[in-house]
Amino acid sequence: MGFAAGWYALALGDGLEPGTSAGTQLFDKELVVWRDASGASHVWEDRCPHRGMRLSFGFVRGNHIACLYHGWQYDEAGQCRHIPAHPSLEVPETIKVPTYASVEAAGMIWVQSAPEATEPPPADFAAVPVRSLYLDRAPEMVALLLEAGLAGSFESLSSSTFGIALDGADLFLALQPYGAERSALHIARTGGDLSPKDIAVWAEDLRATLEALPAIAPASAARQAGALA
Amino acid sequence: MSLVLHDYELDSDSYKVRLLLSALGIEYSKVAVNVHPGHEQRSPAYLRLNPLGNLPILVDGDTTLRDSGAILCYLARLHDGDGQWLPADSQRFGEVMVWLFFASADLAPATLARLHDMLEVPADRDAAIAASRRAFRIMDDHMTKRELEGFAWFVGDHATLADIAVFPAIALSRDFGVDHDEYPALRRWMRRVRTIPGFITMPGIPDYH
Ligand SMILES: N[C@@H](CCC(=O)N[C@@H](CS)C(=O)NCC(=O)O)C(=O)O
Ligand code: FES
Repeated sequence: MGFAAGWYALALGDGLEPGTSAGTQLFDKELVVWRDASGASHVWEDRCPHRGMRLSFGFVRGNHIACLYHGWQYDEAGQCRHIPAHPSLEVPETIKVPTYASVEAAGMIWVQSAPEATEPPPADFAAVPVRSLYLDRAPEMVALLLEAGLAGSFESLSSSTFGIALDGADLFLALQPYGAERSALHIARTGGDLSPKDIAVWAEDLRATLEALPAIAPASAARQAGALA
Repeated sequence: MSLVLHDYELDSDSYKVRLLLSALGIEYSKVAVNVHPGHEQRSPAYLRLNPLGNLPILVDGDTTLRDSGAILCYLARLHDGDGQWLPADSQRFGEVMVWLFFASADLAPATLARLHDMLEVPADRDAAIAASRRAFRIMDDHMTKRELEGFAWFVGDHATLADIAVFPAIALSRDFGVDHDEYPALRRWMRRVRTIPGFITMPGIPDYH
């Protein structure tokens, strides 16, 4: 099984402060998630058109992102606006970073993995962001193990989002297919009052479980899920 | 006053000492040791100063010290009257010590992986990288929980030697191909470390502006 083109969470919204950027990956493709000085978030290809430096290694200056290597600056639309070595140059429109559609919902930053995806963006709902959990495990296997209930009584809300009730709290987990062998789970509390710190401790156990469980086949996941239903 | 640091610009352990000296605003003189390609730290003269053949080495009058962790503690004890960097309170002191020992033991594979990739020091690269990632995960889990409880630093409510001791390994991890993508709490904390008065960089840790 694989994941369809659609919307995937890349980060917790409040973990990305204004004027900062972070590198990440989706399906092994490097992306930069950054928040400009006015608070708007952006998701771009993480590659400077000049010499290919990762833009996430650079820094945000106002509403521009500046490349660490030679200081080329890009505006909110990804258009290059300034080349320090040629300060008076009118920068050609062709020097532009590919950008992705993104939204903030449920305390997370979501990206549309491919422009042809027709699914609407995720609905917003109240959520207290807790933490992002990174796992050395294939995203397909993480989804199978969660669906099969082998790491707890998870409910599948979609092919990449899950819910679980934990000590009186309701948790929402969004799976980021980071790469072939790596995944992230972005975790928010949608109800109850279990402390975020306690949820973070639970998440460390969840990571250990998901990394240690033996692999299962999709059919057996379906059977397990059926048996539990 | 005759504080002398035997130093190598690319050495992350020497950098810890330079960073604390700068934060404390202490005058000192620096002797640049030709580590690469000269291996001068293993010359007979240097082995008399430090039989382990590594850097940094601090000479303060009659006192000669090796080991960046020991030197950090010595400088804090001597020059940090307020006990900011090495707290007097036993609980805080113990917590700082946990991270100082973590830096010299559990982050040693990160130092090795970097030396392997930059200076061709022999190493089992895959094992060193796997061990580095295990250590960075422990640091990120720690700072994740600290932030959720409203704290900004590894120990207590201000920067301590703990922050200085664990900073270089993760800040330089791209030198050996480990990105910061998986460590969001460390990414935020590293920005805070940059705001410490007197903060200085080293090659591989970019200056933002
Ligand atoms: N090489 C082109 C543009 C590249 C450029 O801007 N180069 C400058 C500073 S931003 C530089 O330092 N380049 C180093 C390099 O070419 O690797 C030019 O100078 O016309
Ligand atoms: S690689 Fe980005 S400005 Fe040169």
